Amino acid sequence: MDQETVRTICYLARLEIDQDKSEKIQQDLETIIELIGSLQTIDTSNIEPLYSPLEMTALTHEDLENSDNKKDKFLENAALSNKDYFLVPRVVE
Amino acid sequence: MIWETVIGLETHVQLSTKTKLFSRASTAFGASPNTNVNLIDCGLPGVLPSVNKEAFYKAIRFGLAIDAKINQTSIFDRKNYFYADLPKGYQITQMDLPIVLGGSIEILLDDSAKTINITRAHLEEDAGKSIHDEYEGFSAIDLNRAGTPLLEIVSEPEISSAKEAVAYMKAMHQLVTYLDVSDGNMAQGSLRCDANVSIRKKGDAELGTRTEIKNINSFKFIEKAINFEIKRQIKILENGEKVTQETRLYDSSKDETRPMRSKEFANDYRYFPEPDLLPVIISDQEIQKIRDEFPELPKEKEARYQGELGLSEYDSQIISSSKSMADFFDAAVKKTKNYSLLSNWLIGEISAYLNKEQIDIHASTLTADKVAMLINRIDDQTISGKIGKSIFEEMCVSRSTPDEIIESKGLKQISDDGAIEEIIMTVINENPSQVEAYLSGKDKLFGFFVGQVMKLTEGKANPKAVNSILKDKLK
Amino acid sequence: MSVQFKSITELRAMLDNKLISAPELTQESFQLAKKYKELNCFVTMNEELGTKNANTVDLNDKNASTLAGIPLAQKDLFCTEGLRTTCSSKILANFIPPYTATAVKKLEDAGSITIGKTNMDEFAMGSSNETSYFGNVHNPWKKGYVPGGSSGGSAAAVSAGIVPAATGTDTGGSIRQPAAHCGITGLKPTYGRISRWGMIAFASSLDQAGPLARTAEDCAILLNAMSGHDSKDTTSLSSNVPDFLEDINQPLDGLKIGIIKEFDLSDLDSEVQARFEDSKKIYENLGAHFVEVSLPNISASVPTYYSIAPAECSSNLSRFDGVRFGYRAEDIDDLNDLYIKSRSEGFGDEVKRRILIGTYALSTGYYDAYYKKAQQVRRLIKNDFDNIFQSVDILMTPTSPNTAFKFDSKGMQNPVELYLEDLFTISSNLAGLPAISIPHGQVNSLPVGLQLIGNFLREDQLLNASHIFQQNSDFHLAQPSLEGF
Repeated sequence: MDQETVRTICYLARLEIDQDKSEKIQQDLETIIELIGSLQTIDTSNIEPLYSPLEMTALTHEDLENSDNKKDKFLENAALSNKDYFLVPRVVE
Repeated sequence: MIWETVIGLETHVQLSTKTKLFSRASTAFGASPNTNVNLIDCGLPGVLPSVNKEAFYKAIRFGLAIDAKINQTSIFDRKNYFYADLPKGYQITQMDLPIVLGGSIEILLDDSAKTINITRAHLEEDAGKSIHDEYEGFSAIDLNRAGTPLLEIVSEPEISSAKEAVAYMKAMHQLVTYLDVSDGNMAQGSLRCDANVSIRKKGDAELGTRTEIKNINSFKFIEKAINFEIKRQIKILENGEKVTQETRLYDSSKDETRPMRSKEFANDYRYFPEPDLLPVIISDQEIQKIRDEFPELPKEKEARYQGELGLSEYDSQIISSSKSMADFFDAAVKKTKNYSLLSNWLIGEISAYLNKEQIDIHASTLTADKVAMLINRIDDQTISGKIGKSIFEEMCVSRSTPDEIIESKGLKQISDDGAIEEIIMTVINENPSQVEAYLSGKDKLFGFFVGQVMKLTEGKANPKAVNSILKDKLK
Repeated sequence: MSVQFKSITELRAMLDNKLISAPELTQESFQLAKKYKELNCFVTMNEELGTKNANTVDLNDKNASTLAGIPLAQKDLFCTEGLRTTCSSKILANFIPPYTATAVKKLEDAGSITIGKTNMDEFAMGSSNETSYFGNVHNPWKKGYVPGGSSGGSAAAVSAGIVPAATGTDTGGSIRQPAAHCGITGLKPTYGRISRWGMIAFASSLDQAGPLARTAEDCAILLNAMSGHDSKDTTSLSSNVPDFLEDINQPLDGLKIGIIKEFDLSDLDSEVQARFEDSKKIYENLGAHFVEVSLPNISASVPTYYSIAPAECSSNLSRFDGVRFGYRAEDIDDLNDLYIKSRSEGFGDEVKRRILIGTYALSTGYYDAYYKKAQQVRRLIKNDFDNIFQSVDILMTPTSPNTAFKFDSKGMQNPVELYLEDLFTISSNLAGLPAISIPHGQVNSLPVGLQLIGNFLREDQLLNASHIFQQNSDFHLAQPSLEGF
């Protein structure tokens, strides 16, 4: 895992690593990747992935409205909002 | 050099469910900001989605209508990216196992029809809305739309002009409204598309580099945006340069497309199966039920109007081309026997009025009952067609029924022969010179007498009776 | 009369016999929490509402549950309406949820009193409680030693006798390992047994809530209250929930216990090995017999887990973006800057590490090799279990290869060193199986835990086997000296 890959991943995850820690983090990531890389030795041909321990089908909800809108509380929890909206720095599309 | 345009459309159809795809908050349009939002839509820590099956049923109805394969096992995936109006930091969508695979749609061109194949259609949740120009320095986030069910329909790159793209979108609009899977309201964003446009030398096997124009939401803009983009790309190619693969935005005020700044970084969406949702399985019985309840489609309506109701081919086509018009017609047909007069009115006066006002018939003051009543009054000669038009004008601005208008304005037609004869005699007596001229061969003057009678009766005299009595008296 | 170190069953008797009132009991709990403040097991106390609820709980109601008036502590990743919920992270340090998690609500509906929210590894990522933004939790058995993690605060609060029981969550051992390190009983139920609604997600397909208590019997009481289908969590099981107390006293005659061949215990501390052998003898004396079984893929559990859990976590933690709730950095230039600064300042190092690993494992070109591969191996592991449970009732392993260790002594140079602590616990999360840790003695004055793994939905067997063990031994009665607190 090179510096460039670390930078790309950091950007995708919207994280930045302090300069003084970046080498250590890169090293940690390499160690962990090596650990999970050990799975390559296991033969999994024709094995379906198991994405959930529950091999069942989803329960669904009926198309009936059941609103529990808590607009005021939602907006209150935001670091920046006005009486109607969450606010973020202006985005230019 | 002869250039060839290749277009593929990704259409986003907002499904007309009452509640969201993964929550039970309302999907109603126009609510005040952030009120159609519950814990799930807000993406709060600890919340979990649950699937709205109605959205599946609507997607399947669409799939069956285009003869597609329905994937009875459906899996949701997460598409990971950050955006201010995407509350969870991922969108729940379908990657590997879309609900609808394949199928095709027929589009109508000037003198011909063309079949456009559909690659796939999948369910996904909509994002919220960012409002960029209301607050200085800030974008405001409204999550009302977040989680609204969308069916994303991906066409094969088989569309070869802006005109065809518009025809495709019109066909799509007709289909989804007919199927009642969407209200098709483009102004409210219920039907919008992304256009992938590329240019290649005619005869080339390989596709050129494409650009994607995002989020076009009217027929007019589709045509303009694509035409602009075609010209732009051809110019680039003719200068010997290369088209950059990018996402662009159509700016209707300048009638141009420009690169989208917020998409300038290449993204890697890191799709993976949504672990909070187990696979959704649709049974054969459920699909059969959707088939059994299938609504009547335009072609079937057209045939019925011609066969059962005796309308002309042209009238049948016009009326069935729009779901709302056809629904209105079907409702009115139950209340009147004069189908052809009804269809004349719908295609004539009523359509002219709706076009002028730019509204849908269901949003107007007109109801099927009232229009049927109007037709019946003309049909039973209570009023003349001409009076009918003035009653119609009144109906467009008030809530009164035709009968109420006839009553309050005294517009009932005079069909009593005695009364008409009396008035005719008055006219004859008052215009001796015209009578003389008529009798000496000036046949054209007949209209003059009719006009005078109508003037005296304020247009209420039964025209047939006036004609026959006049002829009799002027011998 | 002191209530410290009392079990729920004992406190129930005291309440029923009017030796203490519910408000008094709750105040005692608050007092104990204050007295042992230095343990740092609580992030937030619920004094106002807890006191109010204790004053209004009706113990004379004929339908009052076993939990009526019993003080409990909740791990701080269960959302509690109006009560700060932090996940021990700076990013949620001021988050007041507008709703309550189903598991907590069910416990409160049964009349229990939430006295506070317990410290934990940040977002449950850790095995030592050292990643908390709110500081380390001490092991009540030895100051300066870890309580285990991630439910370290819950385990320490129960171990110190502040509350008789607490909630935890277990993604790779986060209930069982701290229970083992603190000398108490902790149960991770079958995946889907308890609703995840309101539980702040770490890894959705592995996370499961469960109880930590002084006895298996108390765990059964909590499990009775917490279990059941919840329409808000469509991955919660709709299977019938039995009364877990009903068969808890069944004799163990003929119980078949499997010992996993692939776990080479000879590498462990000889004392840890000795405790294990002692417990086998206890079970043999109770009529159980042991068979060696093979789960060929179980050694791959740790790498499998450390591919799947970070991948899910990287996505689950994307919602912490500084927009709608949680920490938001200041002095930001634009939206991306807002995300990057808020998240980088808000998350600790271990959380960042896991998000980055997960992002990598899911990225184009690596998805098949890491994420998908791990989910395939996961099926192999589950198949191994399915196969083995045809012939044995439960499996038995140590809970952790070691006893509690000193602060800052493990994983500092190499995070994988700490990941290997989860070797025995992780596989049951991958397969969704229930597992329990019960105390079975000490090594160097620090508790050691014994793990029993059960078949799908067979918590009843685990609780039965644990309860009978506790009826015939007194390891679970050992109390920490709390020296220095």
